[in-house]
Amino acid sequence: VDPRVDQPKAASRTSGARQARPAWSLSAHAQRLITLGLVGLILAVITRRPEFAGVAAPAVLLLAARRPDRPGRIGVTVRPSATEMTEGEHADLRVTVTGAGEHSVDMLVHPRFAVVPGAPGGPAPGSSAPGDAVPSGPAPGGPAASAPAASAPAADGPAAGGPAADGPPGNGRTSSGDTGLPFHITRTGRRSLGTLEITLRDRLRLTEGHITIELPTVNCYPQPAAQRTRVVLSRLPSRLGEHPSRSSGEGVEFTGVREFVPGDRQRRINWPATTRRGRLQLNTFAAERTQNVVIIADASSDVGEPGATPVDLAFRGSAAAARAYLAVRDRVGFIVYQRSVRWVTPGLGARQYYRIMNLMLAGPVLARPLSRDPVITRLPRAALPPGSLILVFSPLLDRRLVETLRDLRERGFSILIVDVLNAEPSGRTDSLSGLARRIWRMEQDAIRFSLRELGIPLVRWDGVQSLDEPLAPYAKRVMVSRR
Amino acid sequence: VTARIVGAAGFLAALCVAWSALPLPPTGIAATILAAAIAFGVLSLIRLMLGPEPVEPAGFLDPVQRSARSVADLIRVLPWAEGMLVATLVLEALHRSLPWHTGLLGVALLSYLFAVHLAESRARLAVLRPQAPLIAAGLGLLALAVGAAMLPADTGSSADLLAILAGVAAVAVAGLVIPV
Repeated sequence: VDPRVDQPKAASRTSGARQARPAWSLSAHAQRLITLGLVGLILAVITRRPEFAGVAAPAVLLLAARRPDRPGRIGVTVRPSATEMTEGEHADLRVTVTGAGEHSVDMLVHPRFAVVPGAPGGPAPGSSAPGDAVPSGPAPGGPAASAPAASAPAADGPAAGGPAADGPPGNGRTSSGDTGLPFHITRTGRRSLGTLEITLRDRLRLTEGHITIELPTVNCYPQPAAQRTRVVLSRLPSRLGEHPSRSSGEGVEFTGVREFVPGDRQRRINWPATTRRGRLQLNTFAAERTQNVVIIADASSDVGEPGATPVDLAFRGSAAAARAYLAVRDRVGFIVYQRSVRWVTPGLGARQYYRIMNLMLAGPVLARPLSRDPVITRLPRAALPPGSLILVFSPLLDRRLVETLRDLRERGFSILIVDVLNAEPSGRTDSLSGLARRIWRMEQDAIRFSLRELGIPLVRWDGVQSLDEPLAPYAKRVMVSRR
Repeated sequence: VTARIVGAAGFLAALCVAWSALPLPPTGIAATILAAAIAFGVLSLIRLMLGPEPVEPAGFLDPVQRSARSVADLIRVLPWAEGMLVATLVLEALHRSLPWHTGLLGVALLSYLFAVHLAESRARLAVLRPQAPLIAAGLGLLALAVGAAMLPADTGSSADLLAILAGVAAVAVAGLVIPV
């Protein structure tokens, strides 16, 4: 395994209770009241008209009633309900504010890229703008316990002990001391949830305390596409597995009948055939072998709509393929082709699945300069075992990868390409741009034609349909591995 | 709910400006201040409609969008509601109107300020409940002031005393800003 894979594991973490010092200031409402009071009184003096002093009176009364007591520190606990999730899966961010006294607590999540505040049934992904307008107000339940702010939440109690968010879900804004803020993530990766802005307001809403807290990071795995069928090679390495091979062996799939020879197991004697022929006949079965599958996800061209780019499709398809092959105990390896190449050597089991998922989370290693050499051919033998089926999820926009695939085919590897290109160059609609776009399309067709000519099957997948549909021609029967 | 509150704030802003402009038409400097009050009122409404500042980085926007965002940021930063407040009060002071006229303007301005606050903080009307007694007391004082102004004019010491009291109150209001 590439050692770099395990390095960013610490990124997945939760935030414990922390003490925060609010930055207190006059609210905009108080500033407007001050303006009204001052202007009214000044005009009353200048014009000698008492009604202007009357205009200022409500503002002056409200300002005079302001009480200076406010907490110097408050406790904030932020805990997501899950730190590992898949795309589109909903989770809650549990926020508890303690030690805020009788101040109301208003929370607003500023989500980062691909993080969408909202609950199931809430607004559609992408429709919720940061800072969406929702009602808020002082939390129900009255003042909190007056224990010191530094005490544990259990001792202090939430600042406003009401139920969860009193605003509608789906907007990331609420006003309560103990709140669940629903969210989901739309793209694979290690995602920082963003920042949480907490505003404390006094009873008269004249002073405000602001706190901004960095929210924890969550690992978002790709949502595997639907795949039930598998492509199996005609030649399989001699390891025990679940795929019936051409050679006879100890499997369960019946292949024929032959004459009994000394040493054969008696329990396999086919008595009806023996009766018909007068000599002992034996059932023969296909040997069951495992398959080495190496999945290559091309993450070099992140073009198109976020959430449906070729990279997203490549990861979803790779996750589906890995899950499908690992389910039948095949050895599955994984290679991410980006600015650099990262890989997981073929392995078995659920643990291997999560190793593959973790490799998808790791971002590109930008420190390494972009190499012009076809790096995949230089991977160690363990990463690309001979006789492996190589499944490539790629938009085929990177010429280096195309050349590398040609080279791998010439070296005898069985390759199947799943084309995930679902975007075109955008631009003006004039004739020159149209011509350039047409040439680009012809180039893409030429690349695909040349790969097919080399004997590399190529299927197209749009990311919406099941992977079984494009793979059906190759999954119905074994794929002949040619050298 | 927010749209309704913003609508109410718009209505109150229009009402305040129109009320302070009466009797029409204002001339000279009053016309200029009226134009400023209208502009401030419209911009304060635009500010409410824009909402809080978006958090996405502006790096991937085209120049037109970036310019629009800069203009929006400018609108968010400046205190348009305060500007409208000052303009309407000055406009009211510029022409001689009846005390009850000014009193009603005061009520409308106070309502406008609360509507702006509710729209700005996306809060419900119920959050103003703790302030209700103080607002009621303030409105009572306003009614008293209007009533006092409608009494026959007294050019003697009571008017001077009122001016001194107003001056002291103005200093006290300015002092309220200092602790924060």
